[in-house]
Amino acid sequence: MEILTNLLQGFSFVLGWQPLLFIVLGVIMGILAGAMPGLSPSMGVALLVPFTYAMSPTLALILLISIYISANYGGSITAVTINAPGTPSAVVTSFDGYELTKQNKPGMGLGVSLISSTVGGFIGTIILILFSVQLAKIAVKFHPAEYFALAVFGLTTVATLGGRNWLKAFIAAIFGLLINTIGIDPISGVSRFTFGSVNLYDGFSLIPALIGLFALSEVFKQIEEQNFKSKKIDLGKTRWPSFLEYWKLKFTILRSSILGTIIGIFPGAGATIAAFISYDVSKRTSKEPEKFGKGSLEGVASAEAANSSSVGGALVPLLTLGIPGSASTAVLIGALMIHDLTPGPQLFNNNPEIIYGIFASLLLANVVLLILGLFGSKLWVKVTVVPKKILYPMIFTVSIIGSFAVRYSFFDIIACLGFGIFGWLLRRNNYPVAPIVLGIVLGNIAETNFRRAVMMGGYKIFLARPVSLILLILAIISFGWPLLRNKLYNKKELSN
Amino acid sequence: MKKNLLFLLIMIIILAACKQSEQEFSFPEKPITVIVYTGPGGLIDITARKFVAIASKYTDATFVVENKPGSGGIVAMKRLLQLPADGYTIFACTKSNISKIVSSGGEAYIDAINWAAMLMADPECVIVNKQNKVNSWPNLLADARKKNGKQLWVGPANGGLDHVTALKIWEKAGIEARWIPFKSGGKALAALLGEQGVAYVGNPRDVLGNDNLKIAAVSSEKRLSPFPQAPTFAELGIEGMDNEYMWRGFVYKKGTPVKIRAWYDDLFHKVTNDPDWQNYWKQGAIDVTYKKSDEFTQIVHQDKEEFTHYLQKIGILSKEQDNFVSKLKNPVYQNLLLLISLLVFLIVTIVIKSSSFQGNIGSLLIPIFFIILSLIFFLLSFTFPSKEEVSSAVVPRLWIFLLIPLNIIVLIKNVKKEQVVKESSVSSKMVFKFMFLLILYLLGIYYLGYFISTFFFLPAGILMLGYRKYWSTLFISLGWLLFSYFIFYKLLFVPLPVGKLIEMLL
Repeated sequence: MEILTNLLQGFSFVLGWQPLLFIVLGVIMGILAGAMPGLSPSMGVALLVPFTYAMSPTLALILLISIYISANYGGSITAVTINAPGTPSAVVTSFDGYELTKQNKPGMGLGVSLISSTVGGFIGTIILILFSVQLAKIAVKFHPAEYFALAVFGLTTVATLGGRNWLKAFIAAIFGLLINTIGIDPISGVSRFTFGSVNLYDGFSLIPALIGLFALSEVFKQIEEQNFKSKKIDLGKTRWPSFLEYWKLKFTILRSSILGTIIGIFPGAGATIAAFISYDVSKRTSKEPEKFGKGSLEGVASAEAANSSSVGGALVPLLTLGIPGSASTAVLIGALMIHDLTPGPQLFNNNPEIIYGIFASLLLANVVLLILGLFGSKLWVKVTVVPKKILYPMIFTVSIIGSFAVRYSFFDIIACLGFGIFGWLLRRNNYPVAPIVLGIVLGNIAETNFRRAVMMGGYKIFLARPVSLILLILAIISFGWPLLRNKLYNKKELSN
Repeated sequence: MKKNLLFLLIMIIILAACKQSEQEFSFPEKPITVIVYTGPGGLIDITARKFVAIASKYTDATFVVENKPGSGGIVAMKRLLQLPADGYTIFACTKSNISKIVSSGGEAYIDAINWAAMLMADPECVIVNKQNKVNSWPNLLADARKKNGKQLWVGPANGGLDHVTALKIWEKAGIEARWIPFKSGGKALAALLGEQGVAYVGNPRDVLGNDNLKIAAVSSEKRLSPFPQAPTFAELGIEGMDNEYMWRGFVYKKGTPVKIRAWYDDLFHKVTNDPDWQNYWKQGAIDVTYKKSDEFTQIVHQDKEEFTHYLQKIGILSKEQDNFVSKLKNPVYQNLLLLISLLVFLIVTIVIKSSSFQGNIGSLLIPIFFIILSLIFFLLSFTFPSKEEVSSAVVPRLWIFLLIPLNIIVLIKNVKKEQVVKESSVSSKMVFKFMFLLILYLLGIYYLGYFISTFFFLPAGILMLGYRKYWSTLFISLGWLLFSYFIFYKLLFVPLPVGKLIEMLL
């Protein structure tokens, strides 16, 4: 009951014309930043932070949070329409979303991604409001051994991603893991594989690699196939999902949202891992697993619900403990500090208007996102009818802005082109590129936590802690089973 | 009349000339850039922006804060030293930069920089979790002796200030413990709250906002006024631990003219004495001081000595030895290795191309590439120090040992595989042409900036792909430039590359 009155109080803070304007502005900026390959949610927030210094703390946070939540949706737009995931987590959305576009059904992908994003965002926020204090207590107990086990579990999704090409998928993932070790070793501080170059001290940034591997390699591939004919999609007749089709996804969305929120809570795990894992879980539990990767609505729904709900999760440690759960929330901490606010449990007592203002604006931002997204989808879908000869050069200029914006470094632009050419060569030879991204995302979490855990309790610690033991056993099962099934399937095919 | 006019003109010229000589020193005549070595939102970013806000009370100068994140400040320092020593670029730095300079072998930076002003200092302190059994300094000591080197301390990166302070504390207190480094101070604090370690080293500000955290000991001569409960090391019987602190300040390039230096000294002095400035930091338990160039430079040199000592001790810096491995540590030899491997790869490519396997060339070269890359990385992994239980080499080697056999399997499979009929090479040529155009575009961006080169690239790319409506191509290109200017540059504040030549002209 107390929560409800506080929440109503929170709404009273955000239901003025000024806060509402900021939410709308934030959602629009977020969608644009998210849709733009290269501007991840955390960068969208970071780029705007300096300009909120002059605002009141509540308004600043409303703006930043609206950007944060809508950027997670924005990433799916370009993922679905042109296979250029705007955010790392939208990589997973592109698996099925872009397939739908190729089948002349971009409306289906965009519709499902919007609804799953907003529902996911809503569920994540509700979990945040109701259980944040209890969840934070669990989050801090999560031991490095368990982070390691979670990362290994995340890596096993390679087995699902690869399909029949599992050997190549596996190689791609390990390649991602290996190049992830380039740079200053986060545990010992030694520089590894940098060849004396300052640019490599922080390793390759994820974003340029992602843009190169996905967007650029796709453009190269299309140019090679001389695939310039825009599909004759009659935009007036583009099919959008019916209510029944949405309704069928209810359990997928619910499950993925809960999974996404929980994974989002653990500092450092984040939206991308949430999307990968819940996609994997959805595929394993689906009645139509064979449709995944070929335009499954469940696939799009689970990825988008998970990455949007992880926002709520990532805010749990931030608001309750003052500890950032993701790159974006780390930026939010800075935004709080410049306004003389100390993030942490005392914020609930000292500045409830901030906390409940954040809660209320999260809920409102989702509603605004839904409305703007419904109108916008009619617009986004038009990207698919832009003549390809114009679109491809444009994708490149966008990629340049995106890779440069990460740390304002020219090196990243070159890296992006390098990854683009390399990704094109790999795809020509039937290597999937998504596992490389998975390797880059998970490599650091897996390695640092593995070594931290051993430093803290020796090698036996992974088996001594029940949660890590269970996760590792699950990982073995989930890795082994698809491979085994593939083998059986191949044998059957041979004997037929 | 004419004479009068002439006289007036001459007078004006003379007056103007007088004014010119009077105003010979007119600094600043253009905006001053403040380089910050992290992204927006970090403490140093906030420091820089707060400084700019307060400074605007005392000067009409315009300041632009520029975030140049990367490599713990090395990227930003390089940028500072590339620009002329004209006072129009200053760098907001912290003691962490010294640790980075030392660990990356960049001692030359220290002498190339004028350490202009140290503006604040936060004493280092040991923080414990109240809910943990070990929740005070005496408990910490007893527990450390009991655990005999296995006590766990958490904190940020290895070799950073907090780690070095911990090493010092252990040395002076005569205990041994283990440092568990986390990605950031915040994540380490989470681990402390989760009772995964018993102590955390950081600054007093870290306990603010969380009732469960408590300062067990602080490295300061006197107790800190916002934390009257927290004892100093001297009170706890640990000598020589009363002056460990994190500092932040501003520096510029050495060789900046005397008058400009005096201008900055004056500004730093005024800002330091500003009540708003002092109050803002006092709330965060940060000590506002002002140390001028001479004293600051001395402090920096002491810090350098200290970091060198401790970084050698924990193995991040190694003393030179003369064998193959230490040779490989030299980037020159590393790049040589890279070059040789590239040559080998090229030779292999040519051999395959002229053999009967040419139809499979791609499917053979990719596994070969992975194997060569793995071998390079394997060789280099011997240069990592191996002091810890799981050294830096363990995990990369794990990936290498998986990558090599898997690729050998693929290679064997593909050698056996039947040759595929050669694809039509016309379209591949188009891809290569397009790639060439992209490389030209990148060069254009580097020298001429985003807008000019995009203006040429877009039409060129569109026409190359065979689009033939010239007017619409022009409109699309101009429209895109406007769109990217307003949406990316103005609305989302993405700093687009300006280009070296344009920068020089400006």
